[in-house]
Amino acid sequence: MKKEILNLIFNIMKNRKIKHLISVMLIIAASCNEPETVVTNTVHPDGSVTRRIEMKNNENNFALSDLQVPFDSTWLIRDSIEITGKGDTIWVKRAEKFFADVEEINRDYKADSGANKDIARHAEFSRKFRWFNTEYNFSEIIEKNMSFGYPVREFLNQEELKWFYSPYKLKEEKKNGSDSLKFRAFNDTVDKKLEKWYMKNVVSEWIGEFAILTGAKADSEMTQGSLKKRENEFVEIVQKNLDHFDSLWQNGTILREFIGEANSLKFKNEADSAANIATERLWIDFKPYMIRTIMPGKLTDTNGLIDSAGFLLWPVNSDFFLTEPYLMQAVSKTPNIWAWIVSGFFMLFVITGIVIKRKS
Amino acid sequence: MATDNNNYKRIIEILRNSRPELIRPEEIEDEVIKRIIRQKRPGETVTALIASLFGWVYVSWVRRSLIGAVTLLVAIFIYQQASILKQVNNLSKKTVIMGNGQLPASSSEFDKKLTLYKISAGFYSDREIQISEKRLEELLISYQDLQGKYKDLVRIIEENPELKKYIENKLNEKRNTKPDL
Repeated sequence: MKKEILNLIFNIMKNRKIKHLISVMLIIAASCNEPETVVTNTVHPDGSVTRRIEMKNNENNFALSDLQVPFDSTWLIRDSIEITGKGDTIWVKRAEKFFADVEEINRDYKADSGANKDIARHAEFSRKFRWFNTEYNFSEIIEKNMSFGYPVREFLNQEELKWFYSPYKLKEEKKNGSDSLKFRAFNDTVDKKLEKWYMKNVVSEWIGEFAILTGAKADSEMTQGSLKKRENEFVEIVQKNLDHFDSLWQNGTILREFIGEANSLKFKNEADSAANIATERLWIDFKPYMIRTIMPGKLTDTNGLIDSAGFLLWPVNSDFFLTEPYLMQAVSKTPNIWAWIVSGFFMLFVITGIVIKRKS
Repeated sequence: MATDNNNYKRIIEILRNSRPELIRPEEIEDEVIKRIIRQKRPGETVTALIASLFGWVYVSWVRRSLIGAVTLLVAIFIYQQASILKQVNNLSKKTVIMGNGQLPASSSEFDKKLTLYKISAGFYSDREIQISEKRLEELLISYQDLQGKYKDLVRIIEENPELKKYIENKLNEKRNTKPDL
C-alpha cells in the first residue's frame, strides 16, 4: 500500500449499506490516534499571553496536521512519557510560547495548518480602567459554521444547555454514577432534541442556500421567506423518509413534494448544490480539545467551567460553534492600590476642611 | 569736682531738651509697626498654612463641589466592591470539574458524528473524502472486527428461536410504521 494519502470516492459505492458501514468505520478511524490536547492561556495584565499546550497520545505521533491548535518549532517543547495505572504508556508533548499580544495568537490561528485549520478562531483582550480597579477581559472566539442555523438555546432549556456544554468526562461520570438511570434518560432526552436541532439546521441551511442559488430565477413562492414559512413541513418530509432519503432525494420525490413538479425539475441542480453546502457546513471536520485560562487578579465573570485547580475550562466541540459563535470569555479585576490611597487622602482632606469650617 | 559735676548735668540737660527733628514721623511709626507685625510668633506658620490650604471651606461652591466629589467616590467604591463581591459569589456556584477535565473528547465527537451521519447521509451522494493509509488500515481492521461481531450476533440469534422471532417481529413492525413515499 502506498504511503501517500489515498482518495476514497464515495460515489463509486453503489450499495448504500456498504457506504453506510464504511462511513461509520471512517468516523471510527478518524477518531483514533488524535492527541488529547489542553491549551492553557496565562493572561498577563499588559495583554501578553503565555500559552501552553499539553498533548497526550497513545503513541509518539504528534504530526502537525493532527494537532488541534497551531504550534511549531518556535515553541519551547518538552517531551515526556507517563505510565498510567493500567501500565499503558502515554506520550506527552508540552509546548510553551510567550505572545506579546493577542494579535500574535491570531496570526498563528490564521497561519494554522493543523487539523482544525478550516475553523475561524481568534482571541481578544481588552483592559478598562475603572479608577479603583482595572478590568481585564480575555476571550477566545470560534466563528459559527452555518449561516442560517438556529441557536441551540431555542431547542434546549437551561438545564439541558448546561448538560450540552459540559465536558464529556463529566457527563460520563454522571451517566455511570449513583443516579445513572436518571442521567442516562436525561442524556437521551437531550440527544433527541439535538437530533431535531441538527435536522432543523440542515433544512434551514438548505433553504437559505437554495434561495441564494435560485435567486432571481425563482418565482415568489420560492423566495427564502416563503420557503422558510414551510420549513417545518420540509423537516417532517425529511424525517418521515429518513431511511430511504438517499433514493428519494436522488429521484426527486422529496423535492417534488416540497417545491412542486415544475420547480423540482427546473432547480434540481441548485437543490443538490444547496444540499451539499448545507451538509458540508453541518459536518465540520474538527478535532476537539480543551481550553484553560488563568486571568490576572480576581476572576469576576466567565461562561466557562472551573476545574479543581481553580482554572477556567472550556471544552471545544464542533456543536458549540455550529450555529452561533462560541465565546470563551473570562473577566477579572485587579485593585489599583495607588488610586485607593489617592482617594483616601482626598476624602481625608475634604472631611478635615468640613470639620475646620464647623469649628470656626 | 563739684564744678565738673555741674557741667556734666548741664550738658545732659541741654541734650535732653534739644530733641532731633524728625522729617516724616508717621512713616517711621508705620515702619516700626510693620516690623513688629513681621516678627514671628510660635505656631503662626501652621495656622497660616491651614488657613491657605482650607481657604476653600469658606467658598460655598468649592466646598459643595468637593463634598459632591467625595460622595461620588464613596458611591463608586461601594458599588464596585459590592459588584465584585456579588460576581465572585455567583462564580462560586459554578460547576467545579474534578481534575483538569481532560477527556477523550473524540468520544463525544464520535457520538455526534454518528448522529449527523444518520440525518445527513442522504445528502452525501457525491461526497469525496481523503484518508491516510494508516487510517485505511485501521478502517479495514475495524471492518473485520465488526464483521466478526456481526457473525457472532447472527449465530446467537440463530441459536435462540425466541430471540429470532422477537427480532423478526420488531423488523416487521418497523417496516409497517415507515412506508415509502
